[in-house]
Amino acid sequence: MPRTLLDIFPNPLIAVGIGITAVMTVLSVNTLFCIWFERKVSAWIQLRMGPMEVGFHGTMQTVADMVKLLGKQLVTPKGIDKPLYHLAPIVVFAPVVAAASLMPFSESVAITNTNIGLVLVFMFGGFASIGIFMGGWGSNNKYALLGAMRSVAQNISYEIPLILSSLSVVLLVGAMGREFAVDGGVIQANGMNLAHITGVQAQRGVWFLLLQPLAFIIFFIAVLAETNRAPFDIPEAESELIAGFHTEYSGMRFGLFFFAEFSNMFIGAMVATILFLGGWDGPVLPGPAWFFLKTYFLVFCMMWIRWTYPRLRFDQLMTFAWGILVPLSILNLLITAFLVKVF
Amino acid sequence: MNSGVLDTLQRGVEEETYYLNMGPQHPSMHGVLRLLLHMRGEMVLECEPIIGYAHRAHEKMAENRSYIQFLPNTSRIDYLSGMIYNIAFCQAIEKMAGIDVPERAEVIRVIVCELNRIQSHLLWFGTFLLDIGGITPFLYCFDDREEILGILDRVSGSRLTYSYGRFGGVTADIDDVFISQTRSFLDRLRGRLPMYEGLVTKNVIFRDRCKGVGVITVDQARAYGVTGPVLRASGVAYDVRKAEPYGVYDRYDFEIPTRTSGDCLARYEVRVAEMEQSCRIIEQALDALPEGAIEPAKMVKKVKSAAGEYYFAVESARGHFGMYIVSDGTDVASRIKLRTPSFSVMSAAPDVLKGTMIADVIAIVGSVDVVLPEIDR
Amino acid sequence: MSYVGSILSGFWSLLNGLGITARHFGRKNVTLTYPHEKPELSGEFRSLISLIQLPELGTHDCVACLQCEKICPSYCIKIEGGKVEGMKRKRASKFEVDFALCSLCGLCIDVCPTDTLEYSKLYDEAGYEREWVFDLLDPFESLEEEFREKQREVDAKVAAEKAKKKAAALQAKAEAEAAAAQDSPTSGGEVQS
Repeated sequence: MPRTLLDIFPNPLIAVGIGITAVMTVLSVNTLFCIWFERKVSAWIQLRMGPMEVGFHGTMQTVADMVKLLGKQLVTPKGIDKPLYHLAPIVVFAPVVAAASLMPFSESVAITNTNIGLVLVFMFGGFASIGIFMGGWGSNNKYALLGAMRSVAQNISYEIPLILSSLSVVLLVGAMGREFAVDGGVIQANGMNLAHITGVQAQRGVWFLLLQPLAFIIFFIAVLAETNRAPFDIPEAESELIAGFHTEYSGMRFGLFFFAEFSNMFIGAMVATILFLGGWDGPVLPGPAWFFLKTYFLVFCMMWIRWTYPRLRFDQLMTFAWGILVPLSILNLLITAFLVKVF
Repeated sequence: MNSGVLDTLQRGVEEETYYLNMGPQHPSMHGVLRLLLHMRGEMVLECEPIIGYAHRAHEKMAENRSYIQFLPNTSRIDYLSGMIYNIAFCQAIEKMAGIDVPERAEVIRVIVCELNRIQSHLLWFGTFLLDIGGITPFLYCFDDREEILGILDRVSGSRLTYSYGRFGGVTADIDDVFISQTRSFLDRLRGRLPMYEGLVTKNVIFRDRCKGVGVITVDQARAYGVTGPVLRASGVAYDVRKAEPYGVYDRYDFEIPTRTSGDCLARYEVRVAEMEQSCRIIEQALDALPEGAIEPAKMVKKVKSAAGEYYFAVESARGHFGMYIVSDGTDVASRIKLRTPSFSVMSAAPDVLKGTMIADVIAIVGSVDVVLPEIDR
Repeated sequence: MSYVGSILSGFWSLLNGLGITARHFGRKNVTLTYPHEKPELSGEFRSLISLIQLPELGTHDCVACLQCEKICPSYCIKIEGGKVEGMKRKRASKFEVDFALCSLCGLCIDVCPTDTLEYSKLYDEAGYEREWVFDLLDPFESLEEEFREKQREVDAKVAAEKAKKKAAALQAKAEAEAAAAQDSPTSGGEVQS
């Protein structure tokens, strides 16, 4: 089992300080990398070059963009709901940091480790839609309002298949982790503990992707929708709503939304890695390397999908969630439960 | 969306509606179209297109300058089918003044016009996909379109506003390089069509977004004077190239692709089929390219015509484009009225957009392929 | 069945789409890094107009006929010029073009009777000022005097030749007349006789 920072540093303040610094650093670097990577992936798909000017193959382009965003004037529109408008970027951004700190990225060290990790991740994921709604509602802009309303409806709908599909993994962890070796002893694995989920896959030598392919697909699609990625990016559908909920945000306020979007993607990919791809499990390379390789492979898949498909319409999005994903995930859950009971 | 849903919406306990200004500055409004939408949530109750943001007074300019001076303007009315408009104006003047055109020039005109039509349809294809959220097909189309622009640039010297036609001919002759480039482009385009089909036509998201969306019935289309691919998607096989052949179009064997459903998907399919037909026309024209002059021996600078009214229509990439010229016998037109296809299509918009969702508004406006400078002129 | 079938066929179409974009990953890109690389211009490329240095004259051959000024749809050409002392042809003394107005239609080139106008191959038509008026004669200024000298000589020679020819013709005529006059009495005499 990974040791947490609280185990290593007796003083909780130091542990929290180090944890926040580490998470912020990783998320910032990830965002800088992901924006560059997204532009490069889109360029490779579209037979272009992407950013080439700043740094080697444009690697420093996002840094330059970030400096530009920091230097820009913050335009505050008239007639806004001030508290909501100003709080929204923070409400969107803060849960991301919290959720990222829950990820067990290696078998030896983790930032935190709780027995309800999975629940907390979904909770923090749900927070983002509140922030988006606050921003859209407070902006005094009809496009932003439309984007905000779409976002809430979408997030609520897609949380159901997201949770249902991960529940089948939880069931499997419970069934397969009856004799879960931890710190020299044997315990019953906890299906809600992210480290246990990975640990069971590592010890049994089988990734849940192989046992639960349907759940993985549903989970991945739901993650795309939860993180507002194309083809489910209707809250900020640029061809319909200009920029959706963040139409009226400029400068670093917009930067925070952007930061949160890419971090959400990263977290979604990490959760999918933990649940289905065996987390840190893999030969030769050290655990964190495997973890981040798998995560970035999923991030790459998200980008690949974004640059391939058109966008769904709002009602089709709902039909897809309630008509296809929810029934399928319930069916998958029932079959899993049945099989778990039988074997 | 059917009208039943609309009634339910309108029967709501209290009216909670709002107005949404879509355009003139909007990322996916074509040009500077402004749609004033009366909305209820995501649904459009009423739609009022407001035009005139790109008005450049082309028709008025025609009354202030000689016919040949108006020639560069024609490419700028609809910048996507600049070649077709340019040559249409030349053909109108030739009809008016009775100027003979060498046969080779006529055939060259057909070739460049059809290349222009493919180019326009490719651009439409890309922007339509962009409107409904697919960004990559846009760049693939532009890659293909770039080839056409290169070919037309080589012969006319310009990529968009060609000014290639002259009264009685064209400015430059085509050479063997042009012919081989065009042939290889046709092969390339035909090779790319299956790719587009897999990436777009068969894509379930694309089909869901387009099927049954923005249906223009035959009656509606006729009532508003809608022409071109939009009319053909509704099921009327009307094409000026067949109905009243101009130039040498009557020599070539091609079909008018039609669909009956009249929705966005039908319009998409009609345009893709038209690209194939244009390829066929170009091939036939290249196979039977006569030798000879491309211009009259002496450049026509002053147009001599009898006073009277003349009308000449061509099939542009967007439909029936007509030029109505009132001549008083001098070198300056007393009035030129341009009948542009986009205007008719846009006037059908309030009817079609009623009761759709905001995402459909974008898809429908994208699918009918309006060019705003052509509406405003 | 159709529910499951539609899901499966839809899923298949999506995978197919992913495959198509994946096939583009390794392909060569089609863009130019514009300020570093410039596109190859086609021979017909139409840019701003300029005067041609004709090899047989050593300079341009604008005779200030004002045809281009008259046909220009943008009214952006202003030409001054006229007769030059000692020369037969007219010469332009000013050929101003406001390139901010020019629409690159090429009508001026088509009408030019001496074919001394051409499209330049200037690709970056951008400037830092609104005023974009150039005198196309500027690059030819140094050549002008030499040309005029030469042309005067040529013209003078031509004129001299012409005068000579004329004189010769006159002389021939006079001789012919004289011969006729010589002949005429005999003929007249014949008539008379």
